[in-house]
Amino acid sequence: MPVWQRIYEEINDPDFVLICAAQDTGGEAAAGPIFDAAKPTFIQVIDEDHLVSSAFNFVNVPSAAWIDEDGRIVRIDEGTYAKVHELGVGDQAISFGTNVYEPALKDWMANGAQSRYVQPAATVTGNIRKLSADQQRADAAFCLGNLFRRCGIGAKADQYWKMAADLNPHSVNFIRQNLTLSEEGSAGEQFRAMREEFERTGRDYYRPMDIEN
Amino acid sequence: MAKAFMAFPELRNPFVAKEIHPEGSATVLYQGKTITLSEKGDGDGLLINPEYLRQINGFEIKPEGACFKDLCIPLNDELLIEQAGRQWFNLAAFADLLDQPYVADVAAGVWSFGEIPAKRANMMVDAMAPDLELVDRQGEVVRLADLKGKKALIVTWSSW
Repeated sequence: MPVWQRIYEEINDPDFVLICAAQDTGGEAAAGPIFDAAKPTFIQVIDEDHLVSSAFNFVNVPSAAWIDEDGRIVRIDEGTYAKVHELGVGDQAISFGTNVYEPALKDWMANGAQSRYVQPAATVTGNIRKLSADQQRADAAFCLGNLFRRCGIGAKADQYWKMAADLNPHSVNFIRQNLTLSEEGSAGEQFRAMREEFERTGRDYYRPMDIEN
Repeated sequence: MAKAFMAFPELRNPFVAKEIHPEGSATVLYQGKTITLSEKGDGDGLLINPEYLRQINGFEIKPEGACFKDLCIPLNDELLIEQAGRQWFNLAAFADLLDQPYVADVAAGVWSFGEIPAKRANMMVDAMAPDLELVDRQGEVVRLADLKGKKALIVTWSSW
């Protein structure tokens, strides 16, 4: 979040709107402090039902859409990291993210439709994930589970979250959101097993980013 | 075993058990809205008072059908049902007609509806941003449609 705040301040353009939407059923308790720590001035949304992911067919975070002045999407569904992140030390050290997204975004701000990072509609529509009927139904199951959880009906909440994950096994969002409620969290053994399974079966953890280094 | 992080087991069930809705009513979920219906008709599907349709999904009953902007779905006797002199609209049959996915927990009286494909046709064909309405942390409604004239970057992230 602090990186997005820095980028937002550097762009400093009243005609640029940045919306960061936390896909978090944990609500303010989980996502609020992370937002607050960045002292954000951009639009912050806590999206408990993952509505943004549903609207754009995203299956993982971070993902993003660029929307131009006419309401047209000009880039979509990339692992939208604002920088390379490095966590841990020694043999536990991991790094993830990319340094190419920020300059591409700033190029779009400077050059608008002439930016080489703006994609034609045919490319964008090709990059929007095509979801099967079952995968689309998964979002409805997930929201149903959320309602039951908010109403303290845990067994039904679990039942419909499992249904969502079964209907859309490509959704990293559903798998990891559910893991947050486990003791091991969203980045433990089950997460590593899931990543290995994605790689083994050729599923994308993110759609490949087509911005050159 | 690596140290657990991004774990919030305390959020599994911090909620006080509460009724979803009063007896005899139903709950509809769509695009983040939770709509409690005070009554529903008897029988298969989800029979709602037609006056609720606009509040639920933006469609309105007009002489030419159930309409949203330029899209009108002609009404038939599977959609508009007479029961004991009262008219009901079958929201589940309407969803089937629109290929709109839904999941119902009939025992609990809750219907959760997914995206309506016809409302997103412009995104899939012309890359036009979908109608999307969000509420920000300050309680302000943010509509993508209101951002015309500006460039927008909408990014998802998570605490997990």
